[in-house]
Amino acid sequence: MVTLTIDGKEVTVPQGTTILEAAKSVDIRIPTLCYHERLNPIGSCRMCVVEIDGFGHPMAACTTPVEDGIEVTTNSDRLTRIRQDSLKLILVNHPLDCPICDKGGECLLQDLVYEHGIDKVEYTAAKVDRDSLYATPLIRYWPDRCIMCLRCVTACQEIKGIGAISIEGDGYGAQVVAVDPEICQSCGECLQVCPTGALTADLSRYRGRTWLIDRVPTTCTYCGCGCQLELNVQNNQVIAVTTKDGVGVNQGSLCVKGRFGYEFINSDDRLKTPMIKQNGEFQEASWDEALSLVAEKFSAIKAEHGGGAIGGLTSARCSNEENYLFQKFMRAAIGTNNVDHCARL
Amino acid sequence: MAEILFSSWGGEVVDNRDKEGQDLEPVNSVELPEYFRQDEAVKALMGWYGLVIRDPETDVVDLSRVYMKEIQEKSCGKCFLCRIGTRVMAETLERICQGQGKPQDLEVLGRLAESIQESSKCNIGQSGPVPILHALEHFAEKFEAAINDKKAVPAGSYHSKLTAPCMDACPIHLDIPTYVECIKEGRFQDSLDVIREKLPLPGVVGRVCVRPCEEHCRRMNLDAPISIKFLKRFVADYELGKGKEPEFEIEPSEKTGKVAIVGAGPSGVTCAYHLARKGHDVTVYERFDEPGGMSAMGIPDYRLPRPILREEVDRIERMGVKFNYETVVGKDIKLSQLEADNDAVFIAIGAHLGTTMGVEGEEENYDGYISGVQYLLDINQGRDPYPAGKKVVVVGGGNVAIDCVRCSFRVDKPDVNLVYRRTKNEMPADHVEIHDAEEEKVNFHYLTHPVKIIAENGKVVGLECVRMELGEADESGRRRPVAVEGSEFVIDCDIVVPAIGQTMDLSLLEGREDVKTTRWKTIVVDELTKQSDEPKIFSGGDCETGPGALITACAGGRTAAFSIDKMINGRSLEYSEDDYFDKFFKKVKVYDQSEDIGFLGGRERKELEMLDPDTRKFTNDEVEQGFSIQDAMAEADRCLRCYRVATVKV
Repeated sequence: MVTLTIDGKEVTVPQGTTILEAAKSVDIRIPTLCYHERLNPIGSCRMCVVEIDGFGHPMAACTTPVEDGIEVTTNSDRLTRIRQDSLKLILVNHPLDCPICDKGGECLLQDLVYEHGIDKVEYTAAKVDRDSLYATPLIRYWPDRCIMCLRCVTACQEIKGIGAISIEGDGYGAQVVAVDPEICQSCGECLQVCPTGALTADLSRYRGRTWLIDRVPTTCTYCGCGCQLELNVQNNQVIAVTTKDGVGVNQGSLCVKGRFGYEFINSDDRLKTPMIKQNGEFQEASWDEALSLVAEKFSAIKAEHGGGAIGGLTSARCSNEENYLFQKFMRAAIGTNNVDHCARL
Repeated sequence: MAEILFSSWGGEVVDNRDKEGQDLEPVNSVELPEYFRQDEAVKALMGWYGLVIRDPETDVVDLSRVYMKEIQEKSCGKCFLCRIGTRVMAETLERICQGQGKPQDLEVLGRLAESIQESSKCNIGQSGPVPILHALEHFAEKFEAAINDKKAVPAGSYHSKLTAPCMDACPIHLDIPTYVECIKEGRFQDSLDVIREKLPLPGVVGRVCVRPCEEHCRRMNLDAPISIKFLKRFVADYELGKGKEPEFEIEPSEKTGKVAIVGAGPSGVTCAYHLARKGHDVTVYERFDEPGGMSAMGIPDYRLPRPILREEVDRIERMGVKFNYETVVGKDIKLSQLEADNDAVFIAIGAHLGTTMGVEGEEENYDGYISGVQYLLDINQGRDPYPAGKKVVVVGGGNVAIDCVRCSFRVDKPDVNLVYRRTKNEMPADHVEIHDAEEEKVNFHYLTHPVKIIAENGKVVGLECVRMELGEADESGRRRPVAVEGSEFVIDCDIVVPAIGQTMDLSLLEGREDVKTTRWKTIVVDELTKQSDEPKIFSGGDCETGPGALITACAGGRTAAFSIDKMINGRSLEYSEDDYFDKFFKKVKVYDQSEDIGFLGGRERKELEMLDPDTRKFTNDEVEQGFSIQDAMAEADRCLRCYRVATVKV
């Protein structure tokens, strides 16, 4: 264990803990922007700089491991100046389109600019025209809103192990590009970690303000993994899917289906009741009617041909328990061993 | 040398602007070369440690503009302050120089310079604004005048270069910060691409490099250098482990030709690789039956497993380079024939002959007297050089001597001694190798010098030695060992291996007075183009430099490849800006061991797992086990990315 002081408060943490984590453990908040709990520290925003007594250079709390006996200061005029400069520089040519930004209201940049009271930016630089070199039909990239915190690039590499996006160019011209568009799966991990509105879900564009949305926690139905997600609901319409970091087996990650495959919920074509074919046409029916009909037909087949004449195919979208019950039902009630599952095919 | 007018280099402020004659203060922190190219006097320097001005006509504002533009272009864009801040500064300076400066510009420059310098992620941002701050402090009136005059500042002539201490120290100037950063980010293939831009043997060099980079690693000022060598090995092994075939980019030059390379060692192979990438038709002639030269015949398998070397060379063969093994140039085929059949010949035959100690009994050809290179060659070809011998004395203090002692255990010679005339501190061998040899229980006899080989019936039975003590320092700075009279003693042994140096077998040059050689038997070529007086003949590696580091040999091969390509394309072989910067940085040191970086250090360097010394010494299994992915990424994360820019006004 290592003991240090942060803003005069003594902290004891395991070796290898970063200053940022140590501060957090005693409820000292150091502002961060690029830092994300699920990613290795990136160190691009320099918001979390702290001073360490005896060392001339301020250091990023997110990337600096603690040392025994160090005295850390998280707030000073110098640190405030650096943090303000970092934010001001980000605002150079950053579009002030918050009113139509889907992230408005839960944008980390917005919050930090507000917190640091930045009311004017005295720095200027010629705007660089940036093409949206990274986009899929589901993910929209707004290059001018991008602050290049590199969370997206890091998440694509570290969480998904894909590495479809990276940085190209140098200096002010550097930007996020899809270096390998072929391997991008549109999983949306990048937009999940984006702290600003630089990466947004294109299906959800302009469909609801963040502060008017109800977020309903639920389990994804696409497969048996049981990923936890939140349906973003406005006026009884699902307009987006989001996740909470660290929640559920998926810890906030989703695949392309879980994150973007929600339009069926409000689809006009969606079946909401069982249908029974009568005189060559499907007619709406109640569950009792439908189940009785199925039971009747199964019983007849079983009586005439035996249980083996019936086979059951279940789905990867069912949970383990549901699949278990299904095979139990087929074997015990129907009397067949003809049970299979689509994921095996 | 012309006086320095002003210097703020490294924080030492010398201001001679209003001084004359005896009052002029000397500058101790930096030695500014007088000339960049032969005809270009160095008028000023702006760089990571400050500002040095020699010529009073130097316009500091314009110099700042050019330097800052360079910084911005070299900024990687991975942290906010450097990416945007240096752009704001560069544009502000540009505006001032165009006569469109505003009164508040200086305040903006000063504040931003301070914030960027204090908190950027890497050294481009941390060092970039330093000289601007110095300029603003000491030349404020120049900036104010430029703003108030509202006139364009005349643009001067400059040379700029991005470097880093490790990169500068590396003979082939590998872009170390970038390939290390790729590892940190988990982009291992990208890392290899960066290495292969210059070096086709990452698996070999990643195992046996003498790593001048690590001796110039700025992290050392905080705790310990980055394990650069093993990170290189890691990415090479990662690719090998995945069974991936690298995709070499081949971009044929306008004109391509035929090139013969003599010697398939590191230098020849590197030359072949770069020529093949430029589309040339390359044939390598090698006297042994396999590639690698000294790296195969001189470096034991427990340090460099042969399959690694073979695979890396095989890949070059798959690029289309032809290898003619067991072909001795000078015997099987004449050099003049190669010259007649090819557009150029690159000679990289290494230094495969041992030098003698000059002691009594050496000329007698006793059984058990074997030169170091021959001893290693035999063992590396799977032979015990002298099965009857069990007690070995190796003489010398270099890496070959250490290889000889450690190899001895592995061919069943249980009693192994090393005799060196100075102490461990002066030993030129890699300290890691010395440590490993100590672990394997080699008997080290320091301050000991051989006098006479003792033999009975034509067989070695002992080595008479004399004790030494260290006297005055010689020209190399090492204290000269002096014999202690009457201290002679005998080490009983049946094998004596002198490993005190190597020389070249230049028989292929017989009758070729046009290709000059030195009295140390090295081939004379232009230092920066590798071309000999005979325009078609180039040379590199140990036979050009004398026995040296593997990476230096690779660098020579690469340089020669570029020269040969230029020659085939009818371009002149004049030195490039990079070559002149190489010379420049010999004076203006890129790394300062005494620099106080001002960071908290204490992040441990990751070490490799090693096989147990008591068992490994009897096998040829590779002693060092490579990094795990996790360790490699953690080690790469220690890199401070010490890129820095120098702008020279000429």
